[in-house]
Amino acid sequence: MRAYRALLRKDLLLELRGRELVPAMVVFVVGALVLVRLGLGGERLAGGTRAATGLLWVVVVFTSMLALVRSFAQEREHGIWDGLLSAPADRSAIWAARASATFLFLGVTQAVALPLFWLFFLQDGRSPSLAVLAAALALADLGVAMLGALLAGLVSNVRAREVLLPVLFLPFALPLVSVAVRMTVDSIPPQNGGLGALHGLGFLALYDTIFALLGWALFEYVVED
Amino acid sequence: MSSPESAPAVRCDGLTRRYGERVALDAVSLTVARGERLLLTGGNGAGKTTLLRVLATVLRPHAGEVAIDGHVLPRDARKVRPAIGYVGHEPLVYPALTARENLELYAALYGVGRERIDQVLDLAGLNGRGADPAGELSRGLRQRLGLARAMLHSPSLLLLDEPTTGLDEDGRERLRGVLAAHRGAAVIATHEPDWFAGLEHGRLRLAAGRAA
Repeated sequence: MRAYRALLRKDLLLELRGRELVPAMVVFVVGALVLVRLGLGGERLAGGTRAATGLLWVVVVFTSMLALVRSFAQEREHGIWDGLLSAPADRSAIWAARASATFLFLGVTQAVALPLFWLFFLQDGRSPSLAVLAAALALADLGVAMLGALLAGLVSNVRAREVLLPVLFLPFALPLVSVAVRMTVDSIPPQNGGLGALHGLGFLALYDTIFALLGWALFEYVVED
Repeated sequence: MSSPESAPAVRCDGLTRRYGERVALDAVSLTVARGERLLLTGGNGAGKTTLLRVLATVLRPHAGEVAIDGHVLPRDARKVRPAIGYVGHEPLVYPALTARENLELYAALYGVGRERIDQVLDLAGLNGRGADPAGELSRGLRQRLGLARAMLHSPSLLLLDEPTTGLDEDGRERLRGVLAAHRGAAVIATHEPDWFAGLEHGRLRLAAGRAA
């Protein structure tokens, strides 16, 4: 636990000082939502809430890629992998800390994106079920962060990592994002995405559990040369 | 195989390591007894850094047998990591973190108390520079920070990759002092073997990945 806490503190300090990821993620997500809004003019998005929610998650997934492609950049650019990998701490702590930091960065980004989403695309005063929405977002973000950190470690020493990471990430993330979209739709009355809240949350929790186990068990080997 | 208590600090038997098709180490064999300091010499690309990285458990050997304190790599890598202090080409620190923050991170990874940090800062002559970002330190001071990082957990096996690079006279004297006081074994890759006169117990010259 001490190694995990120290690595997470390091990741947060690096972001606080370098401001490499979160500002870029926020600018991207705001820019994408504003562009779509401007493109629609005064029109409603065809497809209504479902289309708008799908759009939100497309933007969230691509925003997460900004963070993930820069994962372990410092370790690679400054040769720090050798220091981390030769230390006796469990290597899965590196993965867990990186996933936790990505989860927090996504949370900050969504704290900006969601009010804009409601402002731009749900102007009819409908208020979502905050408990369902928050649970769906948290579980989906956690899955994105854990899967992304594992794959980012896998490609960290590959030359074409910026291309390879999205190619690997998107197929694995598809089931997660698909359920997250339906859960988000379900949280907005009177829409019904056709998926009970408990079923959806259960699926997201199962997905997270699988990738928590895979990340914990495999990270040692995916970063080994 | 000898028991861990009586085994040499380092034993390589036919160690081979490749990068793709290129053979970086070709059936290298060596033994370093406990308390011995071995100098690795050879030109650029001879395989010195690769050998140190295999011993540091960062790279897997592709053939042959490698053992540290009788523990075979990579199978027993977790057992030997606490015993190894590794100084690479780079100081292996985050430029945006201060010297102290970097040492705090590694202290946590090695399970070492924070009180040790002041001791190694003093050892490396970095008193008063602990609050400076590592990226703002000169090349020589960063090299000292790398040495302080490697000494945090009082390792029994030091692996040093060109440790004199960038060091001024004071830094070199401190390095000499650290090596003279170190009771464990050391494997040191260097282009300045004469500087280590009096500190070494043996030399191994590598050429194109083979012991020459």
